[in-house]
Amino acid sequence: MTLWAAIQIVILVLLVAGSVLAVWLKDLLASVIALGASSLLLALEFYLLQAPDVAIAEAGVGAALTTAIFVLALRKTRRKEEE
Amino acid sequence: MSVVVRTIARILVPVALLFGGYVILHGHLTPGGGFQGGAVAASAVALLLVAFGTSAVKGLKSPFAVLEDLGGVAFVVLGFLGIGYTFFFNVLAGSGGLFGAPVAPGPNPGFLNTGGTLPLMNWAVGFKVIGGLGAVVVLFALFGGGDDR
Amino acid sequence: MKRWVLLAAFLVVAGSLLLGAARMRPFGAPRLDLMDRYFNALSQGEAATNNVVTAIVFDYRGYDTLGEATVLFTAVVGVALILRRLKG
Repeated sequence: MTLWAAIQIVILVLLVAGSVLAVWLKDLLASVIALGASSLLLALEFYLLQAPDVAIAEAGVGAALTTAIFVLALRKTRRKEEE
Repeated sequence: MSVVVRTIARILVPVALLFGGYVILHGHLTPGGGFQGGAVAASAVALLLVAFGTSAVKGLKSPFAVLEDLGGVAFVVLGFLGIGYTFFFNVLAGSGGLFGAPVAPGPNPGFLNTGGTLPLMNWAVGFKVIGGLGAVVVLFALFGGGDDR
Repeated sequence: MKRWVLLAAFLVVAGSLLLGAARMRPFGAPRLDLMDRYFNALSQGEAATNNVVTAIVFDYRGYDTLGEATVLFTAVVGVALILRRLKG
């Protein structure tokens, strides 16, 4: 196994873990942070797959703007998820 | 937000705006383009909003809306420039004037004064995306009586 | 009953995805590379740009970018309509 494939496997496992955490966490602010982290990992994966255009768009829209909009929505609503 | 977030934001907002402008300006030479650079610059606006609260960006709603409309109109007008041939024909490419320098074939680092209408379209789409996404974020912040709970 | 339907749907979707993954082509190898060779050979002369991606997005596929701009405009108008300040 080359180093390149190993890095990609690590990134993809972390990506799946971040996505599962984003669904599983009850604290919605932590869930939003997990979603942003997995989005940033997805941007890194796009960069490793030689698509820097998509990586910049994903980092700008997915990691920054979506997180900011979710945080703004959380400011105006409740932070904890209800059963 | 806390003083840590505000201090980081004071450093990071100009850097993000500068990087967005760089991505838009060099859209025809390096990876990226109007949409990517506009998204990066709009994320700077979102950082400003999250760090300093609604009052920092309250006056930016109308300028963003105007910027979005101007960008869209400029994009369509640039498309209509090539209507003598086809819609979206690149009339300025290789003409020798503005953005009209010839391009050497093969891999080369490139030259900023090339690309024909493509850099102008990059600027139009970049302003459109900054205005659109910034207006969305500001509208989200202003909803429900403005300030934070 | 509902559980069996869901299980069948899961098996169909997972099986098709695994079948596609098993028959995947090597990385970066397209099925047809006619347009790739065309863009690589001619975009520097036709669009006068070193960035082939920008040449495709703004020159060859300009209509797509126009549609994307329309989508963004529609999204902003929708957000502005939903989040407008109601009178009274």
